[in-house]
Parts: sequence; structure tokens; C-alpha cells
Amino acid sequence: MQEDPILHSRRSLTLKFDIPISRTHEFWDALRQGRFVTTKCAKCGQVSFPPQSDCPKCMNGEFAWVDLGREATLVTSTYVEIIPASFAENGHYIVAICELTNGLKVLAWLEGIDYEKAKPGMRVKVEGRMSKEGNPYYVFVPA
Amino acid sequence: MTRVAVVGIGHSKFGRRTDVNIAELAFESIKQAVDDAGVDKKDIKNVVVGSLGGWYEEALPAVVVNEYAGLESVGTMRVEAACASGSAAVKAAYNSILSGEGDVAMAVGVEKMTEVDNLTSIELIGRAGSYMWEFENYGMTFPAYYALHAVSHMNKFGTTEEDMSRVAVKAHHYGAMNPLAQFQKEITLEKALASQVVSWPLKLYDACPLTDGSASVILASEEVAKKLTDTPVWIRGVGYSSDSANLSRRGDYVGLRASVEAAKRAYAMSGATPGMVDVATCHDCFTIAELMAYEDLGFCKKGEGAKMIREGQTEVGGRIPVNLDGGLKAKGHPIGATGVSMTVEITKQLRNEAGRHQAPIRNGIGLVHNVGGTGHYAFVTILSRD
Repeated sequence: MQEDPILHSRRSLTLKFDIPISRTHEFWDALRQGRFVTTKCAKCGQVSFPPQSDCPKCMNGEFAWVDLGREATLVTSTYVEIIPASFAENGHYIVAICELTNGLKVLAWLEGIDYEKAKPGMRVKVEGRMSKEGNPYYVFVPA
Repeated sequence: MTRVAVVGIGHSKFGRRTDVNIAELAFESIKQAVDDAGVDKKDIKNVVVGSLGGWYEEALPAVVVNEYAGLESVGTMRVEAACASGSAAVKAAYNSILSGEGDVAMAVGVEKMTEVDNLTSIELIGRAGSYMWEFENYGMTFPAYYALHAVSHMNKFGTTEEDMSRVAVKAHHYGAMNPLAQFQKEITLEKALASQVVSWPLKLYDACPLTDGSASVILASEEVAKKLTDTPVWIRGVGYSSDSANLSRRGDYVGLRASVEAAKRAYAMSGATPGMVDVATCHDCFTIAELMAYEDLGFCKKGEGAKMIREGQTEVGGRIPVNLDGGLKAKGHPIGATGVSMTVEITKQLRNEAGRHQAPIRNGIGLVHNVGGTGHYAFVTILSRD
């Protein structure tokens, strides 16, 4: 089949975002020190994950940092084989949603296990990691 | 309050459309819809364009599309509700008539997803959640979001990979009867099951393709609709809802709460019940999504979606035929166009104009179910001959 005539645009567009984190930077600071924390509303006591400086329940803006602990249970997971362009250097990964002991759920990579062995109900724990650019993040590993 | 009817429909060929740009692609369905309605385009008071954008060159698709069609002075806007942008456009056009703004409005859905490379498209859709907490560090993809649901559904209800593949086989079966569908070939269960894993347990044949396409509908007030056509298709109920951006803030992963809520509202508004629906389009961006939709829309009980597909209850001759146009899976899923395309399909069905993939129409009621993202948005629209 003959290909349609195409104009290959000469203008390329690269988007790299500078994302403000000043309101909740303590989350990332704590992660660097090996602690996994989140926000608790000073007025109604709502604990949120991801952390947020304004309470989604009562809309109050005062909060405290609370420790989330590390223990969690796997709720569901998937092995991502086709990965996005910006993760090309990464290879495949397992993404899991796990439930912490306080009932909040967290999405992160599950490392240190073959995917076939990752099952709903299995015990995992949260661990801090550092990207090669120096950004902290967290993963699950088998407990 | 006036009633609002679909009086004109248009639908481009879906697929990889390297022969047209975004405006030319939209024009294909706009022209058909205007001709089908028999309206003078001067009478169109509002054009709402549903498009997600980002993967084609134009930043303001609504004005580009309208200028090309000679509609530049009409009031317009682009609306976004992810993969439900098309249904959001239909709803905005419907609301403009209900508000008395004008008697005729048009909803145009258009998307061009193949002007960038595949992995960039996958990246853009993968960001359709909560960027900071799901994409920045974890590279979520659209299949991965639904795979998390598939694993949960399999674990809780015993749904199998084979059950999901059956949805793909059905989609391709009917897609082969729809000349506008991206895929025109039937597939076997074995072929679907053996296809490449995208995000386990979802495989290539569990996933809708990247698609270019457009669809348009012209809506009119009751007074004008009755002058224009003998076969108006009435919008009887529009329900919509939404859910958290972060999947981690959802209660469970075996259904989409936004779909359940949207359906409840649409049934209540229309007075219809699931048992009265003659034919439906369900949002099958992935095969597991169609099985969850059967349950969320009340076509069966929670956990019995797989039973419905095994028993053929959603084929022609079954209880509620679903996605006889091939669905997102085989017809294609040009994101912003899909909700309008579904509205076109159900209008055709209720007019008995669906040709080889026509469903038997008994009660004269059809249902459009359109999800945005992973249940981030959901729209359910109920259409009726009376």
C-alpha cells in the first residue's frame, strides 16, 4: 500500500515539570531519613495518603505529621511489560497496591520477588529508595 | 421543560488515519451529521468539542475544527473528561438546549493519537491518574491500572484470562460487521490467549488500540426535532459521576464506583431499568472493563460478569447485546471521540439502521456507558425511541 504524504514537523517539544512540594516536603525529607509519614488533620483527625496540607474532609489547613509504619498487605498487583517512553532504561516492573495497618492504601513498585509469587494477601513492608537523580521514593518488598 | 433528541449523526472511519489532519478528520463526521439532520449550519448555536489532545499538533482543537467547517462564529468550547470527553461533550450540548440557549447544538468528538510514536502515546495515557504518586516514580500505564482491577476480579470472583479473551473474540466478531471499525477480522480464543502480555494478566488482545477518529451528533429541542425528523432518538437520562485521582484511595478494585453512581442517576432520571435496555455500548478499553461494566450497570450481579460472557448473554440473541459496533476493542478508541461514537451507534440501533450488526429492538431503549480514565469519570446516557 502506498504511504500517504506526511509533513514531518521540524518543531519538537520537550516538557519537564518543576513540581512545587513546599507544603509537604517533610514527607520527602522523612523518606530520605528512612521514615514513612503522612498528614493528619489537626481539627478532625483525618489521616490522608498521599499527604496533603489541606484536609479533604473538613477543609482545615492545620495538620501534623504521623508515622505510617512499614507493614502492609498486598491487595492487587501487575507486572508491567510494555513501559512508557520515559521509563525505557528501567526494564519491567511490578506495581502493587498494598494496605497499611491503619487501612490506608499505597501504590508503589514491589521489588525483590518474582511476579508469579506475588499474591493478594501476602505480607510486605515499605522501604525507601533513592533515584539516580537523587530523588527519594518508596517501594514494597516481601516482609 | 423541553425534551432533547439526537437528530443527526456522523462517524468517520476509525483507524490509523494518516490521510487527514485533525480538522479534516472532524469534518468527516460533522458533514455527515449536518446532512443527516437536514439542518442549516447557521442554526447550530453551540458546538462542543470533546478531545483529550496532547498527541496532535493543535492546542485549540475546538476553534481549528470549527473554522474548517465554517462554524467559526458559533460559541464553542473543548471539554475534557479523559476517555469520556465525548460523553461530556454530548452532555454539555444537551444542557445548552435544556437551558434555552438555542434549539440546535452539536457535539463533536475527535482524537488523533497516531501522530506521535506509540510509546509516547502510552506515556501520555499513563499520566491519566495522579501524576506525582502514580507516574513520576512508578511509570503506571493505562493497561496497568486496569490490570490491577483484573487481578482483583480474578482473585475475588474466579474470573479467568479465558473469560476476558472471550470479550475480545466477541468484539472482533462484531467489529468485522462494522465497516467503520479499525479491525475487520475475527479472532480465535486461542489467538487472544496467546497474544503478548502488556501488563499481566492483560494481553495485547485484551487492550483497545490507539486510534484516530471522529464522531458527531446534532441535538435539537422537542419542537425543532419533530420538524426535522420522523425518527428522533430522545435523550432520556444522563447520569455522571467521578472518583479519586489516586487508585490507592479507592475502596476496592472489582468495579468502578463512578459507573455504578452514573448508572443509578441515569436510570432514575429516565425511569428505565437494566431489564428494559435492548442494546448497550459499554466502555471496553480493556476486556476486564466490559465484564465490570455488566456488573456496575446492573446487567447482572456483582461477580457474575464472566458468567454473562460465557453464556453469550451480551451477544445478539442474548439478554442485552453489548458493543455490536465492535466496541473500543475492535472499532477503536479515539479517546475524545468514543462517547460520541457510542451515541451514534445507539442512535443507529434505535433507528434500526445498524445494518449487519443490528440488535432486535423491543422496548426502544438503548444505553451508552462511557468511562474516563480508570473510573475517574463515568457517564451513562439512556436513549429512547419515545
